[in-house]
Order: sequence, then structure tokens, then C-alpha cells
Amino acid sequence: MNAPTAALVAPRPERLRLVGQRRQILSMMHQRLMLGMLLYAGIVAIIALRLVYLAAFGVHAGEQGGVPALIPDRGDIIDRDGEPLARTINAWSIAIHPDKVIGDKLTLAGKLAQVMPERSEADYFAMLKSGKPFVYLQRRASPDLVQAVNAIGEPGIEIQREPVRLYPQTTLAAHVIGFTNIDGHGAYGIERAFDNQLSDPARRGAPVQLSISMKVQQALEHELSDAMTHFSAIGAAGVVMDVHTGEVLAMTSLPAMNPNAPGQVTPDQMFNRATQGVYELGSTFKPFTLAMAMDSGIVRSFGQMYPCPKELPAYGHTVHDTEPYGRPCSVAEIMKNSSNIGMAQIADQIGAARQQAWLKKMGFLSPVAIELKERGRPLTPRTWGPFETMTVGFGQGIAVAPLQLAMGYATLFDGGVYHPPTILKIGPNHPLPPGRRVFTADTSYRMRSLLRLVVTMGTGRKADAPGYRVGGKTGTAQKVINGRYSQSVNITSFAGVFPMDDPRYVMVMMLDSPKAMPETFGFTTAAWNIGPAFGRTVSRIAPMLGVEPDMNREPDMSEVLPYVQGAQQTTKKD
Amino acid sequence: MSVRSFHSVYMAGTVAAAALGCYLVSLRVASERAALEGVETRIVQTQSDIRMLQTEIGTRGRLDQLEQWNASALSLSAPAANQFVEDSFQLAKLAAPDHHLEVKAPVIMASAPAPATQPVLGNDQSDQTAVTTSQDSPQQLVHEASLKIEPRETPEVEAIVSPAAARNKPAPKPLVSKPAQPKSKPEPAAAAAAKAAPKKTPRLSIASAHTETKSVKLAEADPLAPLPYGKAHAAHSQQFRDSDRRK
Repeated sequence: MNAPTAALVAPRPERLRLVGQRRQILSMMHQRLMLGMLLYAGIVAIIALRLVYLAAFGVHAGEQGGVPALIPDRGDIIDRDGEPLARTINAWSIAIHPDKVIGDKLTLAGKLAQVMPERSEADYFAMLKSGKPFVYLQRRASPDLVQAVNAIGEPGIEIQREPVRLYPQTTLAAHVIGFTNIDGHGAYGIERAFDNQLSDPARRGAPVQLSISMKVQQALEHELSDAMTHFSAIGAAGVVMDVHTGEVLAMTSLPAMNPNAPGQVTPDQMFNRATQGVYELGSTFKPFTLAMAMDSGIVRSFGQMYPCPKELPAYGHTVHDTEPYGRPCSVAEIMKNSSNIGMAQIADQIGAARQQAWLKKMGFLSPVAIELKERGRPLTPRTWGPFETMTVGFGQGIAVAPLQLAMGYATLFDGGVYHPPTILKIGPNHPLPPGRRVFTADTSYRMRSLLRLVVTMGTGRKADAPGYRVGGKTGTAQKVINGRYSQSVNITSFAGVFPMDDPRYVMVMMLDSPKAMPETFGFTTAAWNIGPAFGRTVSRIAPMLGVEPDMNREPDMSEVLPYVQGAQQTTKKD
Repeated sequence: MSVRSFHSVYMAGTVAAAALGCYLVSLRVASERAALEGVETRIVQTQSDIRMLQTEIGTRGRLDQLEQWNASALSLSAPAANQFVEDSFQLAKLAAPDHHLEVKAPVIMASAPAPATQPVLGNDQSDQTAVTTSQDSPQQLVHEASLKIEPRETPEVEAIVSPAAARNKPAPKPLVSKPAQPKSKPEPAAAAAAKAAPKKTPRLSIASAHTETKSVKLAEADPLAPLPYGKAHAAHSQQFRDSDRRK
């Protein structure tokens, strides 16, 4: 081989320069490659790390994002035994997007009119032509209807589920439970009063438990509505309360309303006569006046005598009795035959100032203390003079809600201790608030036999329920029509307590403007219309409430019987 | 040499296998968790369905509806006060049969004394002995009436019981002793036994006949019924009760 010449081996300067450049380029390329590799490696590492992270902590396919607990969209309302009174369920609603309708609009309108005949074909066609983005066709649709509409197959129709409020018992206790508006917020009754609690996500899981007992409520509503229909009354109200706790076990107002269709409820139906309505309840007030007199030391014995003339002129007016004694009569007799004249004299002795103080203590001068927001304000005389004191004494000139009257009786027979009425069940979540003494225990005890006397021998005999020792008082007040007391239109009520030997429950029933019937001999007084209904209701609800009938038990009647002249049983009106 | 050179590969493989194992465990846990969540979701859905159905049933069977059905078809009404009973005794009283006097038994008894003395010819020895004893003295008759066949029965007890009955009425004794006859007849074995030992233990044998007779009769009488009117009946029933107790 030829030995290489030096000239050949020695690189040319250009070439040397080229080598230097090339090396530079190479090293730069290496750097770039390294950079690119690092970049890719970094990306791969990030992806790998992400994958590892996802595998370890990530959301896997099929996971349902946490188990949905069974929390309704709005809290339930249940009765004292746990039966549902209001629930939120998912109902079907059918809507249409008129601007997205694909098929022939005239044909579609015809089909819609066929399955939903509430509107005519022309109406549906006009709706489809209107070009509105969204129109509800039907809310709370039945599954059958949903199926039929779905079968039309129009993509513009939207069928969706939305929560609706359902009241399974329909009209039962409707005035207590109330209803919600279209947005799902409470508009009446408990729904309104406890709206915050019912819609609060944190608290709506637990139902609101009412003190209402569904069975008692049904019995009360049924008997009251029977009486109302029978006597063609324009309205009625009823309250059942637990004497010892102030729990309202049943409260109704008639005519009834259906909370499932609040749009159709008339103002008259919506009016809660038990809490919003205030009525002059007449003689049912007399036991309070007597209790005040006993606690004030005015009446010391049921044998105390008062002159009971045929009419009593007083302070420029005259007090009348339906059936005047026309002789001196004892306090027991005044109560037995519900004498206005006798009670007016007792009230006169109490005096206006003391009477007002007592009524205030009993909570009769302010709206009734209950959780509902539909409450009426009592009406009291504007000028509370001596004559007004007399009329208030026998229940005229003062108007209170039936629930308030029940509260008064509960106070009187719970040993004289006032507990504010409550619509919530007394229990661990809602402890019994401390009571407030109004009357002495002795007065409370002695009133038992007196009110029992009214039922065994006096005006309330038709209200007796054999075996359940009912005690109570009838009340007939003339209704004020156009500012004057009507002579023929009455508001009749009966306030009673059972069993009288150990009072546990108080019930007030009231009829607004009952008409005379042949069997009432033309009378429209409480003894004839609400009295018998009261007796029937007691014999129905007392067994449910655990009151044992006993034909041999009575309160201590020796307190009053000696002071009643003759034991003859005469029919007395209020 | 070659092992060493592959060392890193083995390490990498081991690490990869371990990672894979860990991943598999994690995957397994995740899938179990998913299944559990699925079950929980189904539980909630079922609860929701139950709630829905309960609501539907409650709505269809609402009290107002039940009341209407009651008015139209069932016509049930609230129980009256007198339909409640206070205790189990009152309840038992409602189920007790009406007490009526047994006419048949006394007639048999009344006619019994006379025939009893005559059928000496009869094959029934126990009857005979019974009759003879009954004729001895009123006191002894009472003994017989309240006697029992059980060996544990002691004469002392009988003696205590009998004088009381005797004091009440000596006459009714034959009445009691009589029924022994018709009943003992169909039992030859008892008769034979009585025959065998009439001398040794006359009272016992007599008693055996009597007890048997009485037991049959007792079945007809109401042991819980109040005392019959009249002293004769009182004594009679007292004896019945005595024997009943001993049984």
C-alpha cells in the first residue's frame, strides 16, 4: 500500500474549520436531543404518575359519586303515631317545547287533545304555533297518561320527574298541615310555620312530628261534618287537647279544603275557624268567671245564694235569662241552668280590673300561643265598664278562638296550671315547657263536680257519653250580623272534659249558624245540635285515647248536689 | 457472569411484578368498593320504592276512604261503654254457661233409698253394704257421703267434714248415698272388690262405690256455680265440692 503523504494527511484549513463546526453542531444536536428526550420523559412520567394516582385514588368507572342518602326534597310531616301526613314524591310532569316540534303541528294538537281533553284541539294548536320555548302540558300526570303521551313519539315533548308535595290523607287536618306553593315553599299551616326546617338540607331528613292523632282527627272531623250537614250550618270547628301537656290531638275547621289542590281552595275554606276565627262563645265562658270568683274569695261554696229575678236591670241595660229562676238560687244552680243573671252578679263582684287581670293570665287577651301563623286576635270590649264586665262574665262581648277556649278549659282542669297549646308532639325533641299557675288546685278540683252536674242534670245532658264521665258546658251566642245581635242566628259550642273524675282530655266543638230541625223542636241552641254530636264523638275517641269506660265512677258529686233544688230532670236550653 | 449482567433486569422485573401486584390489589379493592356502593345504592332505591308504595297504599286506604267504606258497607260503630270488660274475671263470667238446676239427678236420688234396701237379692254387693250402712246412723251416712277411696285419705279429715254436713241436714244423706246404686251396677270389678273385703274395711269399700257414683254425677253439675237455694241443696252441693276437691 502506498504510505500516506504528509500533504495528503494534513487537513486543509477549511476542512479543519468544518470539523470544528460539525462538532459544535453535533454537541448542540445532542443537547437538543437530550432536551427533547427529557421533555418526553417528563411527559411520560407525568402521565405515568397521573395514571398511578388515578389507579390509587381516582374515580373508577361505574362509581356513583357517593351513595345518595334517602333525604327527601322536603321533610315529611307525620302524626303522633308516625303516620305520614305530608310527603314529597317524584311525580311525572309533561311539558312541550313548541319551537322544537318536528312533526305536523295540527296532527299533534289532535293527538294531544285526545289524550288530555282538558283543552281543545284549537288550544293545543295555538300553543304549538306560539313558538314559546317551554309550556307545561300537565303536572302530576298519572303514569297512564305519561305512557299515552310518550306513545305519540314527538321529540318536542319532554317528560320529566319532579318532586311534588303529596298529602295522603287529603282533607284530613288540612288546616293544621297547610300546603305549599308552586315553588315548593310552605304557604299555609305547618308547611308555612316550619318552612325553614322542612326545606333545610341538614334538617329535612328528620320528619316534623305533630301532636295530631290521625284517628282522633278523623273521628272529630267526621262527627263534626255530620252535625254541620245535618243542621245546615255554614261552618264548624273542633279541637281536642291533652289537658296535662297542652298538645293539640285534633283540630279541624269546616268546610274542609284539599291541600293537594291548593289552587281550588276558596277563601272560606282556607279560613281556619279554630285558630283564626274569633267567636263570642257565650256560656262556655261561665266556668272561668266562677273560677275567678272562687280564687278571689268571692264564692266560697257552691251553696252560696244569689237573687235570680226574672230579669236583672244593671247599669242602664237589662240582663235576661232564657229560663229565669225567679227565686234565689245557689251557685250550683246558676251553672246547672246557665243563668246569665246569676253569673252577671258574680262577675260584677269580681270587677273589671280583676277580670282583665285574670283573662290576661289565662292568655285570653292576646293571640293564641300556637306555632301556626294563622291566628286571630281576640276581640274585647273597647270600654270595659261594669256592664261589660257582666257580659264578659257570661261570655258576651269577648270573642276568642275555639282553640283558646280549649286552652282555657285545659288550664282550669290541669289543676289550674297553664301550658301553652302546642301542635308538636311532646317528647325528647320537644320537651314540655314549664307551666304557669293560674287557678288554685282546689278550685280546679271543685269545678269538676260542677261541670259534671251540667251534663248529668243541666243543659248539657245530650252531650253525655255513658261511661266516660263527661263534664262540660254548653254555649249559645247570638251572632253579630251587620253590627246587631241576631235573634235567630246562633253560634253554638260545647266545651267538655273527660273523664271528669281525673280530667285528661278537653274537647271543644262549635257550629256556626245551625238551623232548627224538627227533632230540636225549633231550637238552635247548643244543647240541641252540638251537644249530641259531642257525646257521639267522645264515645268514639275516648277508647282510642285509652280512657276506660266505667259506669260506676263519678267525680265527687257531694260538693254540688246538696245545693241543687230538686233532682228533677228538666229540659233546659242554654 | 451472565447472571450478574442480568441483575438489573431481574430487579426491574421484580419491581414491575410487585407494582403490578399492588395495582391488582388496589384494583380489587376498588371493584369491591364499587360493588358495595352498588348494593347501597340499590338499598336506597328499594327504600325509596317502599316509601313510594307505602305512600300509595296510605293514600288509597286513607281514613276518609275507610270511613266511606264503613258507612256504605261495613257499618261498624264504636264500642259502647258496656262492651268493655275490666278484667279476666268479667270476661270469664261472660262465657260461663247459664246455671240451671239439674232436675234429673235429684229425682234419681229421691227414688233411690227405697229400692236400695230391697235389692238384697241383686248381685251387687257394694250396693247392699251401702244401704245397710246408711241405715245404721245419720252420722255414719254422712261419712259415707264424703268418703273417698284413695288410701291417702285419712279418717280424721272425713270426720271433720262430716259433722258439719250432718249438722246441716241429716235427711239428705240418703239422697247422696242413693246414687251409688245405679252407677255401681255396671262395674262388677268394683263390686267384687267390695265383696271381697267388706268385713275388713267396710267403710272403704262403701266409699269406693260412692266415689264412683259421685264422680259421674259431678260432671253434670257446675262446680263454679253459686250455692243452690235451700239448706238441703246447700249441704248437697257442699258434699259435691268436698269430693271434688279431694279428687
